[in-house]
Amino acid sequence: MIIFDDVWFSYGNREVLKGISFIANFDERIAVLGESGGGKTTILKLILGLITPDKGRIIIDGVDITKLSEEELIPIRRKFSIVFQEGALFDSLPVKENVAFFMREILKLPQERIYERVRELLSLVGVQDAEELMPEELSGGMHRRVAIARALAVGKTKMFLYDEPTAGLDPINSERIMTLIKELADRENIGFMIITHVVYVAWQLCNRFIFIKDGRIIFDGNRQQLTLTENPAVREFIKELFFRINI
Amino acid sequence: MIRYLCFAMKSMTKLKTLVSDLQDFYILCINSIVRVFKKPLYIDDIVEQMEYAGSSSVFIVSLVCLFVGMALSLQLSAELSGLGLKMYTGKIVGIAVIREIGPLVTALVFIGRVGAGQAAEIGSMILGHQIDTLRVYGIDPIKKVVIPRVIASILMLPCLTIIGDLVCLFGGYYIAVFVSNQSGSFYWSSIIQELTFENVFSGSIKPFIFGYLISCISCYYGLTTRGGAKGLRTSTTKAVVTSIVVVIAMDFVLTKLLLYFLGFSL
Repeated sequence: MIIFDDVWFSYGNREVLKGISFIANFDERIAVLGESGGGKTTILKLILGLITPDKGRIIIDGVDITKLSEEELIPIRRKFSIVFQEGALFDSLPVKENVAFFMREILKLPQERIYERVRELLSLVGVQDAEELMPEELSGGMHRRVAIARALAVGKTKMFLYDEPTAGLDPINSERIMTLIKELADRENIGFMIITHVVYVAWQLCNRFIFIKDGRIIFDGNRQQLTLTENPAVREFIKELFFRINI
Repeated sequence: MIRYLCFAMKSMTKLKTLVSDLQDFYILCINSIVRVFKKPLYIDDIVEQMEYAGSSSVFIVSLVCLFVGMALSLQLSAELSGLGLKMYTGKIVGIAVIREIGPLVTALVFIGRVGAGQAAEIGSMILGHQIDTLRVYGIDPIKKVVIPRVIASILMLPCLTIIGDLVCLFGGYYIAVFVSNQSGSFYWSSIIQELTFENVFSGSIKPFIFGYLISCISCYYGLTTRGGAKGLRTSTTKAVVTSIVVVIAMDFVLTKLLLYFLGFSL
């Protein structure tokens, strides 16, 4: 379980989060929505302990992670599989080495087992032919798929975290990535948290929606509550969704 | 009154930021040494960085040092021939290159080629969340990214300095013999006479320290990159400018210390 308890965070003098509180279960399918630069990715980084809040507590599985050292955070981070915006693949390594990275560096698996697993994962995400390519040779969609394969290489985790998984992709590739995210969650039977500003993506994948505006949560609810909300800021944001799904 | 108060507050904030940045830099410098002794040591990454910092820099270091040696020899020959002391060209070129010019010029070229590259590469890894990915996987970015670059710089800059010194001396030889019509054997013998422990030691200790400082500064600015392409430009520029200033200032400090400890009288 993830608990955000009155979390404040600022980059220099700019306050990004102003007292965020929510509780999320690992099996939920949550979308964190809001305008660009509104602090959505910051929430993801806070969950992983990559940054420390100025104030408040973040509790993961009963452990307050705000005061943990880098080494103490390792088991907390292993509970999640993360796909950063645009994939965050290592530029200097080919696709297969990117996917093999964790298995080689941390799990210390034998070479043959690593490549066998790499092939499995790449075919699972549908980029088995890209094994030898360098990241700069991949399209945006393939980039995300390889990043998802690399995240899966970590092994069994409790939750997937996706930062803008469809940003910059054409509708066909966006659809493919959405299908993949859904299939993986069903297959592994675990939940995910998606950071996005595209309401349609969130609607297709999630059953809980958290809206962030000016550093505060202005909406936290399910599909039905979302369609019935009277909050003008949320309604403005989901206008496009009403048009697309014809509510 | 309010204006003065605002100014004082702004100055305090800037001072606080400066102190905090310096603290972060010192911590990085210390960690880049202390964590070398903690497993794992990424040998492959060290070798890769040595190849980038070392063998790939030989040509540019040689080219710059060749022209510096030629210019130095030309200036000295012109000046000394007016005094009837042209035969001392080799001796002065030898002392200047081995003790001072070789290490300094090589370090400056190294900053431009390797330091800037390290800052830009790490900065781009920060912006592309690659460093975050390493941390999520439980891999220490200091060990995986910083230490290989620091070790490579500490080991490769002295090697490049030796090559740079030699090329510089050859440049000086070319001018002394083929332009200034001096004796080649006398040029080399006067240089060999200057290969004393004091001269060689004071010239060879500097590159180790310069290499360490350049890579720590470059890695620090790379790791503190924020704000897209503009931020990357700023951090790379800062890395280069700070490295140049620090290396030149450190050169003066080291020269003063070495002259004192090696018993040179002023």
